Amino acid sequence: MTGAESVTGAGAEPGTAGALSGSGAGSGAVFRETTADPRTQAVPLSHLSLELGHLYMEDFEAGPQRLREHFARVRPWADAARAAATVPGGRRPRVSTCFLIDDYFARFSSPAELVPLIVEEAGRAGLTVDYLARESGCAVTGKVPVAEAVAGRIVESPPPGSYGLRPPARQTGWLANGERSPVARAPQAMKRAVPWEPPKETAARRHSVFLDVELWSDDADGHRLWSCPFLAAVWQLARLGLLRNEGEAVFVAEQPDPGAFPEDWDELPSLVRLNPRADPFAAYRTASVLPSRFLPVEHAVRVVLDQLDVDHGALRQVAERSAREHAAVPDSVADRVSYVFYAGP
Amino acid sequence: MARPEASAPDAVLACGEVRTRLLPTRQALDIRSAAQFLALRADERVLLSERPALYARSPETLTGVDCPLPSANGSRVRAVGTVAARAALTEGRVLQTSAYFRLPSTGPDQRRPWGHYLVRPGVVEPFGKLLPEAIAEGVLGGGRPGDLDVGLIADGLLTRLLRHPLLDQRPPLRSRPTRLRWAALPAAPGAGPSLERFTLAEDDLRTVRLRVPPAIPPDRIAGLCDDLALHDWLLTTVVHLLDGVRFGAPEPSARPRPGDDRPAAVLALRPAVDHLLHLWMPRARVASELAPLWDTLERQPGFTRQWQALVQRIRDQLTLHAIPALYREAELTP
Amino acid sequence: MIVFAASDKGGTGRSVTSANLAYQRALNGDHVAYVDFDFGSPTAAAVFDVPSAVRGTRERGLHSYLEGGTPEPAMIDVWRQTEHPHLHAWPNQSGRLVLFPGDIGGGEFATDEDALERCVDLLLRLNGEFDVIMVDLSAGRSYAVDMALAATAHPRMRNVPFRWLVFHRWTRQHVIAASGLVHREHGIIRGGVERGHDELALRSAIRFVRAAVPDPESAVWSQGSPAQAAWMQSCDEALRRLAAEHAIGDSVVLGIVPLEPILQWREQLITEEDVLATQIANKETLEALEEIARRLTDDTYWGQP
Repeated sequence: MTGAESVTGAGAEPGTAGALSGSGAGSGAVFRETTADPRTQAVPLSHLSLELGHLYMEDFEAGPQRLREHFARVRPWADAARAAATVPGGRRPRVSTCFLIDDYFARFSSPAELVPLIVEEAGRAGLTVDYLARESGCAVTGKVPVAEAVAGRIVESPPPGSYGLRPPARQTGWLANGERSPVARAPQAMKRAVPWEPPKETAARRHSVFLDVELWSDDADGHRLWSCPFLAAVWQLARLGLLRNEGEAVFVAEQPDPGAFPEDWDELPSLVRLNPRADPFAAYRTASVLPSRFLPVEHAVRVVLDQLDVDHGALRQVAERSAREHAAVPDSVADRVSYVFYAGP
Repeated sequence: MARPEASAPDAVLACGEVRTRLLPTRQALDIRSAAQFLALRADERVLLSERPALYARSPETLTGVDCPLPSANGSRVRAVGTVAARAALTEGRVLQTSAYFRLPSTGPDQRRPWGHYLVRPGVVEPFGKLLPEAIAEGVLGGGRPGDLDVGLIADGLLTRLLRHPLLDQRPPLRSRPTRLRWAALPAAPGAGPSLERFTLAEDDLRTVRLRVPPAIPPDRIAGLCDDLALHDWLLTTVVHLLDGVRFGAPEPSARPRPGDDRPAAVLALRPAVDHLLHLWMPRARVASELAPLWDTLERQPGFTRQWQALVQRIRDQLTLHAIPALYREAELTP
Repeated sequence: MIVFAASDKGGTGRSVTSANLAYQRALNGDHVAYVDFDFGSPTAAAVFDVPSAVRGTRERGLHSYLEGGTPEPAMIDVWRQTEHPHLHAWPNQSGRLVLFPGDIGGGEFATDEDALERCVDLLLRLNGEFDVIMVDLSAGRSYAVDMALAATAHPRMRNVPFRWLVFHRWTRQHVIAASGLVHREHGIIRGGVERGHDELALRSAIRFVRAAVPDPESAVWSQGSPAQAAWMQSCDEALRRLAAEHAIGDSVVLGIVPLEPILQWREQLITEEDVLATQIANKETLEALEEIARRLTDDTYWGQP
């Protein structure tokens, strides 16, 4: 871990549940095997992680004017989000800001050129970018296959009538917020085929808003391309301090080299701290200020977040620390996420 | 709010089912292969332990359910939540999948957003109030079609694991999987845990009814039941093995195996020595507060006593066959 | 050991004969599973005399299992649940005899990738529990035959030994049809090779059972006229020549089941009681079944002819 973030309290809390304790083990046991104990590393947490924008190639190609305009529009909403992040006792809330650059779906420009530009344009609008992240880091960070690990944590919301039998036809690579229309399947001889039925949102109130999200696609060589909503869901988990790899924190902020930013995106860490005095990157809640064209993507993010079984150790740490601080954190991970969608490109 | 106890409301009942079977491989898996085999999640470690025996356990996985609970009194209480499941491999030889959940006494009257249930792993919340006693008996007796069936979830995980390419599908002996269903009701205030009933039901089904202090987390109860299931399976398997052996003088007509002139008894018993006899180790993975429950079974019917008798019988047979046939059959042929 | 029972046409006595072979193996101490993949007309329940047990497994049979409707197919312990008067008592030293029935009212269905995986799951599970797994397949080039070929070519099944028995009656039409099922275009061998089987190995694992064969030497026919006997003799020889021409000659025959009214009319298991006490079955039939059952695992009867 190269990050300079410090954690109040223990750096790593040994897991209490799930150890392979034998009859001799328990508190005060003499014999112990480290491979038999689950451990979860703690990460420092702010109250709010405030996202000041996503930058895609199209935005970059539209020129610096687009960035300037973006930050100018974000400013009032960012102020509002800060103002809303009150803390009991009148203390100053810890709020960190972040900015995400897409270097996954298309490569453009370079950190050396782009990062100073972002910092400058944000500053012009009176905003500070504390942390800068690369979208590729949501797919793979270092050697950790983050997206693949998160995909392995999907626990689908069961439609009524789910009693333990695995659904016969699962659409791999897709995740829905309800039941799909039944697929026409060749019936047994002399039996009738099933007629069409509409899809159904499980949490529907009377009528459905059914959404089916493509999580990834595989090309002919077997190379997997993660979808934008899925990586955005990973991004939210990172900001909520809920990503772990074998108990270790992933997406840990690194201080950039004192000199210039590199010419190649691959040489930039997944998450860099641009403001040395920033509050911790991860937070109890997140807020994102985005143009309204992101609405469908973020709806999909919510569908994904609502069906993720996130690391139990990380969840427990967030719950314990927020309780100590009397900070209100919703149970459901999807409810920890909020947005402002402004009209604009 | 995300309270630390969000995942631990007061449970009035914990239930589960364990599937136990021989791993279908010619050789037992070593500890590294076991870790690879049980890696159900890319980002979570397989827990490994080498004392007092090789043991590996997968991360927990969750399965969502929304269905009526089985009940012995005919009530049909709908419940929603997640059932936890995990797999374990003992000495790289015996594979177990275990699914379990616990029930609080009451729950909301309608289904909540799914995220509410996911932060309470292994908890299934009833709609309204429930009678733990009736549900416990319902689970042990098996529900009606469409009722919550934890056994299916344990079976689903087992099926998934058995498709793993590491397995060569060459089991060294014929054996049958077993199922063990369990239900743990709260113990009286101040009372310790107790084993109320251990039943050998149909061919491969066992049921266990327990009383457990409410503070004990269900994965520990599952750990106890995994241990009971493992040892019951060992007994069952070795008893069946001895059942099929024709002892005494060799019958030349009985199932000749070309190229192998060893007596049938030796052929049949050898795999037990190679693969099973060293696995007996009651309480090895049982939490200390639950370990005393084993004593109940040791007194009556005496699990370890039966095991020792079986082991002795196998050793005697093999010793007998080590004696040259001339002397061994001497008294049989007047 | 998995043994697939196939036939080109109905009426060959495939189901009843394979059930009798399963019964014989179990009597001899093997643990035996009988898997009813005769999807169009699952009838094994009648042969094993377990009709009421089968009624209790509605919607949990092999059709439902393969289609993903039930994770564990129903199984019936024949010794315990049969209504056959002579089978009630589990014979001493015999192995388990377990029937996996199809769904009542189930029909032929197209199998897909999922069904194939489940079929492999089932066969592997049975391979761990039983010594002999007898799989009765729908007649002709059926989905069941297809699935059996695909399943045995599956990488997970690479270490599981299997053999095929092809049943046919002793007539011109049946000899030609049985040969076609195995050797012609889209037959078992070509179809198997398409799915990844080694042709030689597959060929070595296929044997034929001639069913309902009238034995000219038998006492049953000794009442006939000399002309009739001579005619039967010459027909028999002609059929042998025909069979040899169609590559299903004596060298690839595992056994011959005599014409037996009890198999033709009642479709039941033949017990020693039927031969000795009630004398409704012929001793030769029982002996033939015992012999074929023994040869199933006798390697000298298998391999390249």
